[in-house]
Amino acid sequence: MTALIATLSRVVKAAATLLAIAVLNFFLLHAAPGDPAVVLAGEAGAADEQMIEQLRERFGLDQPFYVQLGKYVGGIVQGDLGYSFRQGAPVIDLIAERLPATLLLTLTAFVISLSCGIALGVAAAARVGKVSDSLLTTLALLFYATPLYWLALMAVLVFSVWLGWLPGFGYETVGSAYSGFARALDILKHLILPALTLGLFFMAVYMRMTRASMLEVSTADFVKTAKAKGLSGPVIRRRHILRNAILPVVTLAGLQAGQLVGGAVLTETVFAWPGIGRLMFESLAARDYNTILGVFLVSAAMVILFNIVTDIVYRIVDPRIGARS
Amino acid sequence: MSMWKRFSSNIGAMVGVLLLLTVIFIAIFAPLLFSHDPWQMVQRPFLAPFTMQALPLGTDTLGRDVAAQLAYGARVSLLVGLVSTLVALLIGVPLGALAGFYGGYVDEGAMRFTEFFQTIPNFALAIVLVAIFEPTLASITLAIAIVSWPPVARLVRAEVMSVRKREFVDAATLAGLSKPRILVRQVLPNTVSPIIVMASLMVATAILLESSLSFLGLGDPNAMSWGYMIGAARTVIRSSWWLSFFPGIAIVITVLALNLIGEGLNDALNPHLSRKGKA
Amino acid sequence: MKHLKATTFLIAAALAAPLAAQEAGGRLDIVVQPEPPGLMLGLVQNGPTQLVAGDIYEGLLIYNTDLEPQPGLAESWEISEDGLTYTFKLHEGVKWHDGEDFTADDVVFSADVFLRETHARLRASLAYVESVTALDPLTVEFKLKEPFGPFISVFEAATMPMIPKHIYEGTDFATNEMNATPIGTGPFKFDEWVKGSYIHLVKNEEYYIDGLPYLDEVYYRVIPDAASRAVAFETGEVDVLPGGSVENWDVPRLTEMEGVCSTGEGWEFFAPHAWMWLNNREGPTSNKLFRQAVMYAMNREFMKDVVWNGFGNVPTGPISSKTNFYSDDVTHYDYNPDKAKELLAEMGYDGEPVRILPLPYGETWQRWAEAVRQNLTEVGINVEIDSADVAGWNEKTSQWDYDMAFTYLYQYGDPALGVSRNYTADRIQKGSPWNNVEGYENPELDEKWFAAATMVSPEERQAAYEEIQKEIVDDVPVAWMLELEFPTIYRCNVKDLVTTGIGVNDGPRNAWIEK
Repeated sequence: MTALIATLSRVVKAAATLLAIAVLNFFLLHAAPGDPAVVLAGEAGAADEQMIEQLRERFGLDQPFYVQLGKYVGGIVQGDLGYSFRQGAPVIDLIAERLPATLLLTLTAFVISLSCGIALGVAAAARVGKVSDSLLTTLALLFYATPLYWLALMAVLVFSVWLGWLPGFGYETVGSAYSGFARALDILKHLILPALTLGLFFMAVYMRMTRASMLEVSTADFVKTAKAKGLSGPVIRRRHILRNAILPVVTLAGLQAGQLVGGAVLTETVFAWPGIGRLMFESLAARDYNTILGVFLVSAAMVILFNIVTDIVYRIVDPRIGARS
Repeated sequence: MSMWKRFSSNIGAMVGVLLLLTVIFIAIFAPLLFSHDPWQMVQRPFLAPFTMQALPLGTDTLGRDVAAQLAYGARVSLLVGLVSTLVALLIGVPLGALAGFYGGYVDEGAMRFTEFFQTIPNFALAIVLVAIFEPTLASITLAIAIVSWPPVARLVRAEVMSVRKREFVDAATLAGLSKPRILVRQVLPNTVSPIIVMASLMVATAILLESSLSFLGLGDPNAMSWGYMIGAARTVIRSSWWLSFFPGIAIVITVLALNLIGEGLNDALNPHLSRKGKA
Repeated sequence: MKHLKATTFLIAAALAAPLAAQEAGGRLDIVVQPEPPGLMLGLVQNGPTQLVAGDIYEGLLIYNTDLEPQPGLAESWEISEDGLTYTFKLHEGVKWHDGEDFTADDVVFSADVFLRETHARLRASLAYVESVTALDPLTVEFKLKEPFGPFISVFEAATMPMIPKHIYEGTDFATNEMNATPIGTGPFKFDEWVKGSYIHLVKNEEYYIDGLPYLDEVYYRVIPDAASRAVAFETGEVDVLPGGSVENWDVPRLTEMEGVCSTGEGWEFFAPHAWMWLNNREGPTSNKLFRQAVMYAMNREFMKDVVWNGFGNVPTGPISSKTNFYSDDVTHYDYNPDKAKELLAEMGYDGEPVRILPLPYGETWQRWAEAVRQNLTEVGINVEIDSADVAGWNEKTSQWDYDMAFTYLYQYGDPALGVSRNYTADRIQKGSPWNNVEGYENPELDEKWFAAATMVSPEERQAAYEEIQKEIVDDVPVAWMLELEFPTIYRCNVKDLVTTGIGVNDGPRNAWIEK
């Protein structure tokens, strides 16, 4: 019963946060210079007052600001993200079309970075002070310090242009008529470079954190106890240190996973990945308010969702938490 | 061992300090090192590096001196990094301190507010902010600060909460000191070291963020920065690698230096870890 | 009738490529940048839309690279002596992509109903049209109120696209659901649009010219990053880079690759003309001496060579040398910083800063603004670069919030269609970046522009436009920068890609791939 109430209150809080985000961003976007009707008219290659008036009316921009806001929030409450006049489609459709690509990219990058990051972090911590530790740490620092987009450009240059091993951009081979397994394989090939470049930075973050956390926990009393009991090094590391050391890493990762969804703009731009980050960036230049707001809301919802998932993972990794709360 | 001794015996940290000092030196003395300003067209475009002594790093798409651009770019990158971090601290420290010290509704409210900002996708928010206020150094700095303060608030809150429970705070309370006075005089000074560590890393992140925004075309068109250089050169990366390579390296070096310093500080301020590290 | 069709086909083929034998089949991948906002050519006419929808929709006429009208959906036409009646004979057996017949009623609906409501640029020309009548199912007559010299140039696909009456009549055009799956008469049919990725068109098997098109399918690829577009071409992912899809600096590198060709042709109809609007209303730019100083201060040849990699021509005035009625008998503003300084001294320039607003279309334009800033700084003008994304640029220019702003516009083959709109006072209207944004007012010259548009004889028009050019160039209402040239880069085994004055926009119609 308490669990149910806790969940309910969480959902209510989440909904309130999302609504607040919608309102804040609505204010922000409408403060921006640039009138969507003028942009659209401008893009048409010619414009006159008549056309701009027509467009304003169609967009509902001729109405007072509070009416527009009211309508928008009213729509959100009913699960309607509005209509993109620039693309001539409901925002929810546009996002639904693009979200799978983004999720595929970010989740892959996330899984790679988290698993490799933790593994390397553990390895480095086990060899602390040795050459291999310094090497790993330095490498992680380098990845951490390298601009993501720069790394992406270099990766395309090397693996796609010079070596010709992997496609440099896109989601799948266009017009290949692949289906089933062949198509999956094709997408996988396209996925490797963007997922790796996006993942490397976070891998470095998780590795450094895991290493630091492992070292910190290894000084704790219960580890000393375990050592006194005569348990072997690897067993202590796995059963005692890692289990505790991994908690802060999981927390951070959970926070970042959600952020990844909206934050893959750079990777999506360099690799022509048809995801929602790019959708947002392109919509921004056109002042396609509804689409931008929609992407913000969906990304924020992802952050919240991932936080909840993190919580669950947390409970699995550390059973004490469930008992405590 | 004193903190400073521990820090100075850390090779990585000293390398970091050396690198950063070099970058700062170049940034400060850029006008003395180069007689022309970074926008001036001095030679034919796309001059390869190491071919002319006067222009050791070659020229860019318009025939401007890449070395001068790097030097002046250091100013902008460092400035944006430092100022945005300061602003982020100005938002995050008070908020976190109040939340951690007073607890209750203050804490609840402050944390909701922080969470709210952590829920909005950071980079996307930065893009929107810069696009809305139009790209100027001020708007870029502010946007970076706005997206980077929440972790500061959380850190300070946690630190303040743990310091608050220590004996000397109780002693101060018994001595009749007012709460705000205790917070400012007793509690906050004890949270300075983790804040310094975090700040050094934040400067690094801010520099990366500024360069990412510039790369997307959201840089200040009147300020020469490293991100601007890479963004401007990305279309010619195949034929003129040096145009994006050198500023890329400059970013890597600076960010690396800041990280090395941050780690060094962290080890120096948390001695039990570094000792373990050398065991 | 079969016979007639065959002849037309032969003529078309002969015009296209007399030597080689065309091979049917194959697929063409063309870059489209940025992704078009829509494909309904009657509603949207920006560059990317024209590129893709130019294969789906057609106009009554096609224009060759000398801007002479050629048969399109109309196989022949007649203009009356007085220049008031235009009669078009339509091609027989033309079908819409959904199988309905294309008839004169569609022409009347398109010109008189649909486009009058939606097409701002055509609306200006349609103001001269008194009536559009279907004389019989294959004959259409346009009657004008007064002669309008350039009227024969308005029948190109993007200017007057043919819209299917059976789909749009009586509906709300802008929200018609069929806008997502456009129906035209063109050589290619719309198949699929995966947003953010590609647009797929397939061969129209029922196309009214037998044998055309040769290609089976065309993919328009959306690749947002200029460097990635170059990579896509290098790795063979795409076959055609339409003008402007890679930065100019990359052009020599790509064209030097083996089996790669390029052409500057195919832009004659548009003749993109770049200039900076100089705000004639306020600030230093409202002073004619200052504007002249700006012209002398800029080394436009150098900018062409360095920023545009040598592509294009430095213009002498408002009319492109590619457009009809061009004249170079005007004051020439060669690079002369001393003269610029003199003019500034004469006007008493006090160092008031001016802002330059670049066009947010990529690095080339940014560098261009930087080069101008450098030149102007050298003669003592205080310059700052303003920055804005596409939306901000539209807002600032159409609300007149700028000092100097880069832009470029198409000329559409005739000064009355694409040039005078930027200089006559009746086109000073807030809200649009496509008219007299600089706020130049010269009533005497306005009269001359109007008169030149309604003259019937080309000789008279030539004389009139020569006079106009001579006068306006001395006033420097805007700073003319460059006649842009956008080379089309393609693989050499793609043949007959650019055969008309609008180039790649209707290229796939005649193109074929040599195996």
